[in-house]
Amino acid sequence: MLEHIELWQSQVMELKEAFGESILEVRMPRDFPVDVPVIYLEKKHLLEVLRFLKERECRYSFLSDITATDEQEEGLPWRFEVVYQLFSQISKLRIRIKVRVAEGETVPTSVPLWAGANWAEREVYDMFGIVFEGHPDLRRILMDQRWVGHPLRKDYALKGFQIFTDSQSIDPSWLK
Amino acid sequence: MSKDGSSSFFTTKLDAFVNWGRKHSLWPLPFGTSCCGIEMMATLCSDYDMSRFGAEVVRFSPRQSDLLIVAGIINLKMAPILKMVYDQMSDPKFVMSFGACASSGGIFNVYSVLQGIDTLIPVDVYVPGCPPAPEGVIHALLALQRMVAAGETHSQKRLLAAKQA
Amino acid sequence: MKVVDWSKEDPDDLWGNASDERILVNIGPTHPAMHGALRMVAELQGETIEKSYCEFGFTHRAKEKLGENRTYHNFIVYTDRLNYCSALINNVVYAMSVEKLMGIELPERCIWIRMICCELARITDHLICIGINAVDLGAFSFFLYGFHQREEAYTLIEKLCGARLTTSYTRIGGLMADAPEGFEQELQAWVVKTLAVIEEMDRLLSNNKIWKKRTVGVGVFDKEDCIQYSFSGPNARAAGIDFDLRRDQPCMFYREVDFEVPILKNGDVYDRYRIRFEEMKQSLQILQQCASRMKKGPIWCEDKRVRIPDKDVVHNTMEGMIYHFKFFMQGFEVPEGEAYTQFEAANGELGFYIVSKGRAQAHRMRIRGPSFWHYQGLSRMIQGEKIADMVAALGSINIIAGELDR
Repeated sequence: MLEHIELWQSQVMELKEAFGESILEVRMPRDFPVDVPVIYLEKKHLLEVLRFLKERECRYSFLSDITATDEQEEGLPWRFEVVYQLFSQISKLRIRIKVRVAEGETVPTSVPLWAGANWAEREVYDMFGIVFEGHPDLRRILMDQRWVGHPLRKDYALKGFQIFTDSQSIDPSWLK
Repeated sequence: MSKDGSSSFFTTKLDAFVNWGRKHSLWPLPFGTSCCGIEMMATLCSDYDMSRFGAEVVRFSPRQSDLLIVAGIINLKMAPILKMVYDQMSDPKFVMSFGACASSGGIFNVYSVLQGIDTLIPVDVYVPGCPPAPEGVIHALLALQRMVAAGETHSQKRLLAAKQA
Repeated sequence: MKVVDWSKEDPDDLWGNASDERILVNIGPTHPAMHGALRMVAELQGETIEKSYCEFGFTHRAKEKLGENRTYHNFIVYTDRLNYCSALINNVVYAMSVEKLMGIELPERCIWIRMICCELARITDHLICIGINAVDLGAFSFFLYGFHQREEAYTLIEKLCGARLTTSYTRIGGLMADAPEGFEQELQAWVVKTLAVIEEMDRLLSNNKIWKKRTVGVGVFDKEDCIQYSFSGPNARAAGIDFDLRRDQPCMFYREVDFEVPILKNGDVYDRYRIRFEEMKQSLQILQQCASRMKKGPIWCEDKRVRIPDKDVVHNTMEGMIYHFKFFMQGFEVPEGEAYTQFEAANGELGFYIVSKGRAQAHRMRIRGPSFWHYQGLSRMIQGEKIADMVAALGSINIIAGELDR
């Protein structure tokens, strides 16, 4: 991985030139215990940065994953980190974008860039409760629609059962 | 039926004959949800043929089958559906709980998993294993056949109690 | 909740179908196609699907939450149950991901055996996928041919680890047990037999007129759609995306074996079926090379943090016994950091994103299952197709409920 460090550094320089003020922190693999460059962003320029990475020369056009982490630590102004894993099929490199949000804050949706982000964001909403603004259809996906609470949060018990006696009904407006 | 209401020689012999026919022609409804579904397929396929024991005609409709094989995890989201499928089957119906997840929740003691289908529907045979080996499934099927012949399954006991009441 | 005026509407018309000619049909979660518990609701105009809705979550087993509550060693058991048709691949990828976080190097024999496991699992997964695809469309004996070869593969896997399906074979830093004597020869014999069987299966179905009519041009998903929906693996290669993580981001010894990556261009069900055949042949080649190049040697790395002591040490020395107890009860600590490890699983890109805070349990264990992204594309794939084509398309993208729901 370290042999790609120069290419990554040049890509990060390009990104910093274009979006310098939104980039809060960059962690490169040589200096931090990470395997790919991790870029911490402010959420207001998230879509532009993702579009930049997707369409410019570095061509991180493959969205590998969208997920989130609950970093519930005392005294921090944010609680969750929404993680975007991008992959470039041309240069065979990966990069990770993270956006830190507090409880109740929303994140702009990446559905305009990748249609596949639709369900991934729904899963993040279902598991963590992070709302994606502009999402066409933000509903629960893995759990029953009537489920209360967000299971992957650190304060949700592993054995927090919720019983339903009938299966959920489908609203015909959900068909696309 | 003899004069005091107990079964006569003829009805017991008829019952035994009917149960013999029933046990050798169980029609399974494979309710396969996860990994045990693959082992159930393996049991139904040519290497460990379950049709040797009469359970070949696999029908996916509860109206047309009498053995509900619950193979795999049953979620809290799936549980009402399992109950609905079980209710739609007509008596006598038999339930085989295939695998650890169906029998007791298995290794998943988590917020979304029903800890055993016997909290929901009466089970006649439990097959342990994660997933059970096909030999174990066949052993369970033979045990179920013995139970059917002796009238010991939940469904048959319920029918008998209803008839005597 | 819709308020219904029963004097004007038909009480049997539960979803308001009588008002126009469209019918809402519910498919699943229990359905004859043995793909696991998936639910689809389709709005049909005659037999053509106009809109559809795919739902899952019926086998959600909370593995990501379990990843935060179990030690790294304990979690190996749960990884089998992800893509249960090819459980060995999940074990290998998980072990690789924890080893990456810890910076562990493995001995050669361990890596060769892991590669053999991966390719064996890939072949069994493809056999199931095309078999079930064929069964859904009525070709039952085709499935039985493939399944018999799976049973032979199970015999081999049983020799390795004792289990048929849910193997839990790899350990962090090594393997559960070494391959037994004569394993390489048996593997070579299996490879020869399987190649013959695959060619027979090919002759049975690939040029069959009925099969071609049902699968050519059905469920087309072209390159652009594949990128939009993050398709990977055989589904993407059938659409023309020339990408394979074994060749392009190689790990283990994939640089040192010769294999080709088949690419097709139409992206329909027939191509997805054909490409799995070609991939199986390439996997058989890789297996032959691995079996002939494997040499005797240790299978454990000697890193003290993860090395499970051998049984004679455990039973005969006090330190071994104490260490064994502490290892299994408390687990080992993984240094702080995060890593995303990816591999070309049978279905596509399988990834584990592990965030560690230096404890014996992960802080976040994210599993990127390829079936999740593929199932999302199904709605778009079947728009405008007939309902019978939906069955063919669903079978061809190889949805495994364990990976989808985790």
